[in-house]
Amino acid sequence: MSKYDMIIIGAGPAGSTMARIAAQGGMEVLVVDKRKELGIPVRCGEGLGAREVIAQDLDIPKQCISTDIFGAKVVAPNGKSIEWKDDTTTGWVLERKFFDKWLAEKAVEKGAKIHSYTRATDLIMENGKIAGVNLSHGGKEPYQAYAPLIVSAEGMESMIARKAGFNTVHQLYDVDTCYQYEMKEYDHENLIELYFGNDIAPRGYVWIFPKGDKRANVGIGIGGLLTNGDKNGIPGADPKILLDKFIKNNEQLKDASTLMDFGGVISVGAPIDEFVRDNFLVVGTAAKQVDPIHGGGIALAMEAGVMAAGVALDAHAKKDYSKEVLMPYQVKWKETSGKKVAKRLLLRKVMEKVTDDDLNHIFNTITDKDLNEVMEGNFAGPVAKVVGGRPQLLAALSGLVAGKK
Amino acid sequence: MITIKHEGCIFCVGCSSVCPKNAIEADGTRMKFYPERCIDCGLCVKVCPAGVICLKKDKKEGEQ
Repeated sequence: MSKYDMIIIGAGPAGSTMARIAAQGGMEVLVVDKRKELGIPVRCGEGLGAREVIAQDLDIPKQCISTDIFGAKVVAPNGKSIEWKDDTTTGWVLERKFFDKWLAEKAVEKGAKIHSYTRATDLIMENGKIAGVNLSHGGKEPYQAYAPLIVSAEGMESMIARKAGFNTVHQLYDVDTCYQYEMKEYDHENLIELYFGNDIAPRGYVWIFPKGDKRANVGIGIGGLLTNGDKNGIPGADPKILLDKFIKNNEQLKDASTLMDFGGVISVGAPIDEFVRDNFLVVGTAAKQVDPIHGGGIALAMEAGVMAAGVALDAHAKKDYSKEVLMPYQVKWKETSGKKVAKRLLLRKVMEKVTDDDLNHIFNTITDKDLNEVMEGNFAGPVAKVVGGRPQLLAALSGLVAGKK
Repeated sequence: MITIKHEGCIFCVGCSSVCPKNAIEADGTRMKFYPERCIDCGLCVKVCPAGVICLKKDKKEGEQ
């Protein structure tokens, strides 16, 4: 039987960040991850904004960064694009398989223990309270590990969080289903490229995330409720069909090679209502702390990991792991990251109602500066501009202004 | 009853994220299906980006 101060399930960006800070503060931390090798399989576009990392004072080593990003290019259904660029790096496209491992190593260096290929199979309850988890290494006979604080940093699956009573099941409306290729060769200008249109990617977009050595992640995300494929008689979303079509129509990509196929399901809905209960907390994608517009979760996970580590250390000092002591993490998240995410969710829901023709009009009217304002959550100016030229859009877009705090 | 063609699975766990009955869980390197929990809702079929899950309402035997 092993005992720790905290057991974290999942060595992704949320779990490893939380483990690093808690271990540095003196807690005995065990992190388990069901994967045989951390960081694999890659399930995402691998983009990360620079700000969050700088805020944490992390110096990401070269092998984790595929390429620097200097801006973005957004393309309307009719092909018109808006571009914005910065002279300095605004972010990176990572090599997740190295990045996740490196972040985990940082936690180990601060004293945390990590076990790969180890799955948490169930919670251990004692006197009605969460007391530990059953762990299985490589599918072998489970063994017990105890800690007064169990953390779900499980990502999309979040099975243990469900067993702890959190409603982490995703509704189809609140997920995007995605398919992505790593491709070569693609000449890029270190810009994130996003392509919109209901024919291209209904309720979503096609992305091209540049990588080093003329590679790029070319992917698509579409609404989980939408149907464009026939899956043995069941209508369902089949992102691969649409992605292949996009690639066929793209001059540069149609002859490029694919180096990797990957895909996934992204949470693009609201975060779960509560992140904490006695002896348990949920962090990162498991808590649906994901940007509803771009589906990015790395930065939010790392931010939340810092906040959650703060309350864990406080609970450790007080020897009190009750919901009340853990609650400041939830409160702080909802007041900071949560506000940002709520605005993005509003924007996502409004975007769904907009036709291709409307999108073309919007892209024709707004500038790169306006787009920046929108991404910052300042909707009023750009909305006024768009509605000025097309009053019939007022009904669809008014929610953005009315909902603005 | 669903069947999963494991060879095409990209292990994204999307199916388990939408399953209301915890009938699909990630087990080491592959998805594990618990048929007794399945209610034939088809959500996993719709969401699977690799298209490797299919639902057969009439038959119960093995993979296609």
